[in-house]
Order: sequence, then structure tokens, then C-alpha cells
Amino acid sequence: MRFRLSDRQVGVLFMLPLLVSVALFLVWPIVEAIRLSFVRYNPLRPDDQPFVWFDNYLFVLEDPLFWESFRQALVWTGISTLAQAVIGVGLALLLHQPLRGINAFRGLLLFPYIVPTVVIALNWRWLFNAEIGIVNHLLLSAGIISERVAWLSTPDMAMASAILLNVWKYTPFVVIVVLARLQTIPTELYDAAKVDGAGAIRRFRDITLPQLAEVLAVVVVFRTIWTFNKFEEIYLLTRGGPGTSTYNLALYAFDQAMANLRMGVGAASGVIMLVLLLAGSLLYIRLTGFGREDRAA
Amino acid sequence: MSRWAAALIYAVLGAVTFVVCFPLLWAISTSLKPKDEIFRWPPTLIPETITFESYRELLFGGAVASAPGAGVPPSAYFMDWFVNSVIVSVGSTAISITVATLAAYSLTRFRFRGQRAVPYVAILGYMIPSVIFVFPMFLTMVALDLPDTLLSLILGYVCITLPFCLWLMWAFFRGVPIEIEEAALVDGATRLQVFRQIVLPVALPGIIAASIFSLIVSWNDYLFGRVFMNSMDKLPLTVGVMHFFDGTHVDWGLMMASSVLMTLPMAILFGFMQRHLVAGFGAGAVKG
Repeated sequence: MRFRLSDRQVGVLFMLPLLVSVALFLVWPIVEAIRLSFVRYNPLRPDDQPFVWFDNYLFVLEDPLFWESFRQALVWTGISTLAQAVIGVGLALLLHQPLRGINAFRGLLLFPYIVPTVVIALNWRWLFNAEIGIVNHLLLSAGIISERVAWLSTPDMAMASAILLNVWKYTPFVVIVVLARLQTIPTELYDAAKVDGAGAIRRFRDITLPQLAEVLAVVVVFRTIWTFNKFEEIYLLTRGGPGTSTYNLALYAFDQAMANLRMGVGAASGVIMLVLLLAGSLLYIRLTGFGREDRAA
Repeated sequence: MSRWAAALIYAVLGAVTFVVCFPLLWAISTSLKPKDEIFRWPPTLIPETITFESYRELLFGGAVASAPGAGVPPSAYFMDWFVNSVIVSVGSTAISITVATLAAYSLTRFRFRGQRAVPYVAILGYMIPSVIFVFPMFLTMVALDLPDTLLSLILGYVCITLPFCLWLMWAFFRGVPIEIEEAALVDGATRLQVFRQIVLPVALPGIIAASIFSLIVSWNDYLFGRVFMNSMDKLPLTVGVMHFFDGTHVDWGLMMASSVLMTLPMAILFGFMQRHLVAGFGAGAVKG
């Protein structure tokens, strides 16, 4: 006798690995992070974890470094996202033009996405090296600066270098998404506008921008959430320095857990990030109607 | 479009492409210079003397410094790190893709209670930053007596690769027409036969695209490797090369050569799979 599964059983069987994985790799770490945020965790005595109510949260909220990190995260996120959106839309418009060889440019501009963050951080440290970096050399020879800039060791310049890295790496994301949307705008709209005598700028303002509005909103929310929580881009470039001038919340959480061995405090700041993220996601769902039956694709 | 407008567009795109490519071109140039030329001011754009010394040190340094213990330079571990990175990227991708493909198929062909929650779970998981996952997962690995093993890293990476593999495969299977499968089922084929012989071949492009994204994400990760791993010979590449900053002076030639070698596998994948990648980007499968 052969053992045969019914159709329905196959369906359930195929779901099991996902249910187990979601429980182990998604639900469990989040529940554990929330639990950790309410205990004092001593790495030397991991079995002794006294429940401390909201002590970790109070510690975080009373820590000036947390608020400094929060402010810096806003600067880092705001400028990065704005620059990515503006440059990304501009490039997408150019790449949408029917020109010969445009596909080669489209391919090349995707390249930063695959470069490991560690590699970009290493390259950036070398490019922006204060003594013998090529960026200082090029700017000096072009006469744009008159003396070497200490890119990574002055607070404002370190933040600017980090933002530049972020814009370099993630603008392609905006380009791809906007370009895909541009390709779906019906050309009849433009033809009709031309017949009505609308110039290029009018056509952009009255047709392209409104058509792009929705996808742009989605991209900006996505980029804002991801940029706000970025860790490696900053940590590997500046380690949060000079001093604490490029800390964001992810670096703050990492620092508390790893350097100060305050696992609970690190977890509490992680949970605060999670709450901010959920607020952002709700905004995303409101904006897109994500998950509604008629447009879930 | 007028010829001038076209020329202007080409000029702007050319300039942007230059900015995009320059960091890596500069890394290649630096990696080929002898040490004294690297530190020359003003810097030379194209190496005057070309040497493969830095590459040799990374690729074959392990064989030279065979004596274990103190005095082994970090560069001697480069090939170990490389192998580790391949193992953990492929391992976690295999898990995530298998789980995601099975579930996505099931979700689009059967009805379950609560199945509408799945895309929400996927999108949420894909937005949560790894800094939230990494410490609870690390403590779990400690409890399981697994820290400092490649297995712990593979499992850790499933946290960051599974949600968007699921998202991508789910979106993919929604677009695969169901009629051929139904015809085969009516003809008496079992569900498993249909899955193996009809569904998997059709799903292959989606599986490839999702695998590439998953490989890129796990190959690029730094945080999990930094928190989970300790022994020099068990680090992934990303964590390992940061040890090149440990000494008193920084060997930029070595650093840039490892940059090139770390980017190379992804660039090759990228070159082969560009069409699939663009398709994946279209489906919104971008982790970043």
C-alpha cells in the first residue's frame, strides 16, 4: 500500500516550515527583545535576570546621548531621504528618455546596490582620507578648497560624508521604483497635453508629478524608515564619531548592548525604535491601502 | 528631442556614472600600486608601477604564515573568511528560499484562516532593522551553546532574508496562472507531482531573483557577524576585513584589494543575472 497525501494535507505541509520559521526567527526575537527591555541582564550571571519594570526605558529617556542620537538621526534621515528622492526622480526622468544606449546606463546605475556596505565604508575612508585622500586632492587642484578638509574627524563633515555614502548607495532604489512607474504612464496623456499646447514644464507638473505622487510617497516612507534605522553605514564609516556626533538610535542601542554591556538598555532602545517603525508602517499602509483586496498586488 | 537636449542628457548621465563608478575604480587603482606609491602626494590616478602584491598577500598569505598563534597577520585569514562568507550566505539563502517557495505556493493555491496576515508579516519583518534581532538571537545562540559557529550565523541571517524572500515568492506565485496545474490535477496527477514537474520550472526565474537578493543581503551583513562570531578563523569577510584597521598603520593597498575581492562575486552574479534583478526590483523586492 502506498502512502498518499491528500491535496489539502500537501497545502498544510508546505505551510509548516514557514510557521515554524516565523515563530523562531521573527516572533521569538521580538518577544525576547521586549522581555529583555524589562530586565537587568548581567553577562557574567546570565541566569539572574531581575525584573526592573521601566528602569531601562527611564535610563534611555534620561540619557542625553539618546536624545542627541535621536536629533542626529533626524538630520541624517531627513537630508539623506530628500537628496535620494530629488536625485532619484531626476535620474529616473533622464533614464526614461528614448535614447540609444540608455539601457547600459540603467544597468550601471544599479551597481551601488550590490556593493557591500563594508566595502563602501572602506572606500569612503580612503577617498575622504584627510592627508592623502583623492577627494581632497581633486578639490585642492580644482581650487574649490584652499586647505585639506578633515572629512571624517570634524562633526559636520563626518555627518556629511556619511550622508553622501547613504545617498550614493541607495539612490538607485528610488531610480528603479520611479522608472518602473514612469513606464506605466499612458503616453496618450502627454499627446493630449501637447495638442493643448502644454510645454515640457507644464506637462511635468500637470501629468508626471501627479502620476508619480503615490509611488513617491511609498518610496519616501520606505527610505525614511530604513535610513532612520541604518547601523552599518554609519558605524563602519565613523564609529559614530568624532565623539558621538554621528550617533543614531541604532548605534546607541548597539553601544549600550555591546560596549557598555547593558543588554536591557540596548533592548529598550530597540523597542523604542520598533514603536517608531510601527508608526511609520501604519503611515505606509494608510498611504497605499496596502493589503486591500482590490489592489494587494 | 533636439540633438542638444540629447547631448545634455548623455553628459549628465555620464557624469553620474562616473561618480557611481569612481570609488571602485579608485579602489582598483590603489590595490595595484606598490606601498610607496599609495602614500605619494599628489596621488597618481593610474598606477605608475603595477604590482599584485596585495592580492597575493590576501589569496596566498594563509599558506605563508602557517605558524599558529601570535604574530599571524589578519590578512592570513582572508581565504578562511571568504569560504565562511560563501557557506553562510548559501546556507541561509537555501533555508529562506525553500521555506518561502513552499509557503508562497501553498498560500496562493489553498485557502487558510489568517492567510491575509502573511503579507503584513513579511513587510513588517522586512522593515525591522537587524539591530533589533541581533541581541535576542545572540542570547538564544548562547543558550543553545552555538555562538561562534557558522550555523549560528546561518540561522541569524534567516531573520533578515526570510521576510523578503517570502514577499517576493508570494508576489511571484500570484502571477503564475493556475490553469495548467488544474488541468494536470484533473488528469490524475498528484499535488506533489504537479509541484515538482510544472510549478518549480515555471517558478525558477522568481527563485533565482529572490536567491540573488538573499545572497547579496547575507554576503553584505556586518552586524550579525560582529556580534555572533569571535574566533579569527570563523569570521565572515565583512567582519574580518575590519581587522585590517587593528594595527598602528593602515595598509590601504591591502584594504582596497579586499574591497575588490569582496565585490567581485556579487558583481559577477549581478552581471549574469541583471535581467532577473530588474524583474525583482520591479516586484518591490529590495532590502536596504
